[in-house]
Amino acid sequence: MLNYSSLDWKLIGAAFLLSMIGVLLILSAQYSADTVFKQQYYLRQLIWLSIALVIFIIVIHLPIRLFDLSAYLIYAASLILLVMVLFFGTSRMGALRWFSFGPINFTPSEFAKVALIITLSRFFAYTKLPVASKRRLALSTLLSIIPLGLILKQPDLGTSFVFIVILFVLWFWSGLSPLYMFLIISPLISLVTAYQSVVWIIYIVVVLIFLFLLRPGLLFGIVTVVANLASGIITPFFWGRLADYQRHRILTFLDPGLDPRGAGYQIIQSKVAIGSGGILGKGFLNGSQTSLDFLPEPHTDFIFSVLGEEFGFWGALIVLLLFCFIFYRGTRIAVRCRSKFSSLLVMGGIAVIMFQFLVNIGMALGFMPVTGLPLPFVSYGGTSLILFWTIIGLIIAADYRWQEY
Amino acid sequence: MERFKLSLEGREKISYFVILVLLLVLTAGLVKLQIIEHAELAKKSKDNRIRKKPIIPRWGVVRDREERIIIDNRSSYTFSVIPAEEIKGKTLPNLSKLLNLDTLQIRKRIKKNMVSRYQPTPVKRHIPFEHVAIFEEQKNKFPGVTYLIEQVRQYDSTLGAETFTGYVGEISEEELKKLKKIDPKTYHLGSIIGKKGLEKQYNFLLRGHEGDAYIEVSASGQILGEYKEEKPIPAKAGANLTLTIDNDLQKACTQVLDTFCCGAIVAIDPRNGELLAMTSYPGYNPNIFSTVIPESLWQEIRSDTTHPLLNRPLNGLYPPGSTVKFVAIGAGLEEGLITANSSFKPCLGGMQFGNRFFRCWQTRGHGTLNAIHALEQSCDVYLYQLGLKLGVNKLSEYYDLCGFGKPTNIDLPAEALGKNPNSEYYNKQYGVNKWTKTQVLNNVIGQGELLVTPLQLAQFFCGLANNGIVFQPHIVKKKIHPNGDKRTVLPKISFRLPFSLKTMRILKEGLRLVVEGEHGTAKSLKNEMYSIGGKTGSAENPHGDSHSWFVGVAPLDNPEIVVCAIVENAGHGSEVAAPLVGKIIKVYMEKKFARENITMISTRKTE
Repeated sequence: MLNYSSLDWKLIGAAFLLSMIGVLLILSAQYSADTVFKQQYYLRQLIWLSIALVIFIIVIHLPIRLFDLSAYLIYAASLILLVMVLFFGTSRMGALRWFSFGPINFTPSEFAKVALIITLSRFFAYTKLPVASKRRLALSTLLSIIPLGLILKQPDLGTSFVFIVILFVLWFWSGLSPLYMFLIISPLISLVTAYQSVVWIIYIVVVLIFLFLLRPGLLFGIVTVVANLASGIITPFFWGRLADYQRHRILTFLDPGLDPRGAGYQIIQSKVAIGSGGILGKGFLNGSQTSLDFLPEPHTDFIFSVLGEEFGFWGALIVLLLFCFIFYRGTRIAVRCRSKFSSLLVMGGIAVIMFQFLVNIGMALGFMPVTGLPLPFVSYGGTSLILFWTIIGLIIAADYRWQEY
Repeated sequence: MERFKLSLEGREKISYFVILVLLLVLTAGLVKLQIIEHAELAKKSKDNRIRKKPIIPRWGVVRDREERIIIDNRSSYTFSVIPAEEIKGKTLPNLSKLLNLDTLQIRKRIKKNMVSRYQPTPVKRHIPFEHVAIFEEQKNKFPGVTYLIEQVRQYDSTLGAETFTGYVGEISEEELKKLKKIDPKTYHLGSIIGKKGLEKQYNFLLRGHEGDAYIEVSASGQILGEYKEEKPIPAKAGANLTLTIDNDLQKACTQVLDTFCCGAIVAIDPRNGELLAMTSYPGYNPNIFSTVIPESLWQEIRSDTTHPLLNRPLNGLYPPGSTVKFVAIGAGLEEGLITANSSFKPCLGGMQFGNRFFRCWQTRGHGTLNAIHALEQSCDVYLYQLGLKLGVNKLSEYYDLCGFGKPTNIDLPAEALGKNPNSEYYNKQYGVNKWTKTQVLNNVIGQGELLVTPLQLAQFFCGLANNGIVFQPHIVKKKIHPNGDKRTVLPKISFRLPFSLKTMRILKEGLRLVVEGEHGTAKSLKNEMYSIGGKTGSAENPHGDSHSWFVGVAPLDNPEIVVCAIVENAGHGSEVAAPLVGKIIKVYMEKKFARENITMISTRKTE
């Protein structure tokens, strides 16, 4: 039986506080909505929260070894669900992301996030391959790219980024040097910098210096240089030869929500809402809905705008600090865990929380494009809430049994 | 490989560092918005509302072949309510008084059209200017009300051109669903789109593209001006169209039908397939669709037994009667069953076949005739005997090759196919072996289950007039894009009639004799100035007197116009339809002579 007093109550408290703030903000966001259904979103979120807490309690009672042993089973189940959603899912706004059971929508990509964390943790924890070995990198990439590809097919660009982040963070946490990781992703950066030749040349020089300092071996060096040059030179060449509408088609394929003008408009409204909140905010339920109504989904993607407007700078800062606290406690647990599997598991979970947090708030503040990633614990959405409480459950369980190998 | 490994402490430090940096960036963002830019943004949110306002494009103007206007635009005012800014007990009661509308009705319309509580929702279109003036004077009585200047389609109602112009109207929910798939941004609730005819066919060209303006509005609803941070997207005007229609001819067509109940006329230039005129009588005034149609008027139109909404030239299905006898004669000649001079058993006013007596229209009988004279006098008995030799399927095959039972591919929507029955059809309809050869006796004289549209018949005669080459009928001559780009529509050969030149010569002689022959059925059209060819038809039908058909071709030596007319339940083709066609051809020829500076009397005498 669990000794409840030795659970990390501070971490649980922070997550619970964020969840409750979420319910209040959802209530406020749809307070003067035109239908009763929308006005009651907060009640539904409360029900979801109770379900999430039940799942949390179940997870902390399960032995952590169970996840370790069944990792590949969970992984297989997540892939099956991702394939099924492409055939039997409900289409909304041109994307197949949900299973609908009456009023309840289930998003299998959320489940796939946990599944990938568990699977990669298992893989990294037991592999005998050296940290920077090509087989280790290739196998872990393969494990991540299968669910990622299925999610791109839905299509959902924002969520597929989460899978890349999980892979990178677990590479890092399993000991791979960031410099080495930089070399691996360098062709991608080359692609981005290629739009301006001066920047690109400087960048290539930097890559060469890194290579010289690290001396990762001849074959690796050559592959890196060739990949960098190829993606920097060939891709812009092909891109430039495409007609405008073809480019637009490729971009909208990757992200069906892509509508630069529409998204820009939402971000302006979000900035006006947050900025008008000032230091102290306009007060709970006092947010001038006028500006928020321009946001199509104030209770999901733009929930932070509601927070900024009604609770001001202090309110926003408190939420920021709560996330940092979760990060701090989580990292501490990851460092303390003796089992490599648990440590990786905790770090993977923390990575998902922090990445979605940064991207969502970055979007509300206008730093980033609109991606549709919800704010963990706060945004409306049952599957998302269950996912994050499962992650918290795994972290708490790992912490409780930190001495186990 | 140890240098690629990082110690646990190293990793921990790097993690804290990365998160710290990112957190500082976010905090800086918060500080910038909530502290540095707070005053400005707070003002924006408190006093100003940013409103997206569609910029309505100018629709394309449609003109006839001589650049005379057929469809134009005029300004109209639309009142909208912004639900969020409406003050209960003030806005709607005042508005209902001004617009003479029930408060409940206004509420209903708001509910139906609302996109967002903060966007203007159209309540009533076509507000007279006096009401706009009153509104402007007493603006504070109407919080949350705005008006919009919209373009309304204006149709020249003297032309009877609705047959091809069609009309525009508010988008329906199904249409919205369909169009959203093609173009998700342009269409929204309340959009005006082409519903019928040209307006529908060329909707994408004529309509242009809506733009967006961002305006700032104060809390009291006062427009403060453009919102500078978001650039307006200008509207793109629609393309203008120049049609192949000749307004003079079009008017003539509508006028000649005026004394009859119902009918249709199609005029085509056989040299290129250009539609010169097309009318369906009775018609309707397409302008009524541009404004809100009163329910009573709509009911009246819908329940009218003369079916003013039926587009007769394109969708009216009629038995063609004797007008299609050219097909059977042509088929007989091509198949070697007859020659120009062959004759069958004499016509004694009818023919016994099986246990039924098949009448000829001429009860006195025609005696012995050859193929050309059978056409001239439209002898049914000759055709019955030829039909039996051809058989159902051969005849149907020739009808098909002459363009019946399939679309003409004119650039107008919803064209009817007609019906061209063959044995397969009869087997399906009546069962195998449950129908008799008598069907061919009906089909060969254009009766029975053979059904054509006036356009198909006109198209067939274009082929006869143009040595067998049929051009695809079309109505748009030029597309003039707003950027000055002009596209002329080139004539396109649609198909060739299945007749050799030798056969064509014989059929054309038949065309001539119908008007100029001693016994021709349309002798009355014979005149000194120009030669006309043609064919009469009287289509028996279950609705009453025969439909009166005439298809005329002029001038016969070098045909420039084919006119096909049908007058429903009016009697023999020679008595009713032929004179109508004669009048229209006269209008055309007079215009041609005037253009060529020839006085009408002198032409033939100097020959």
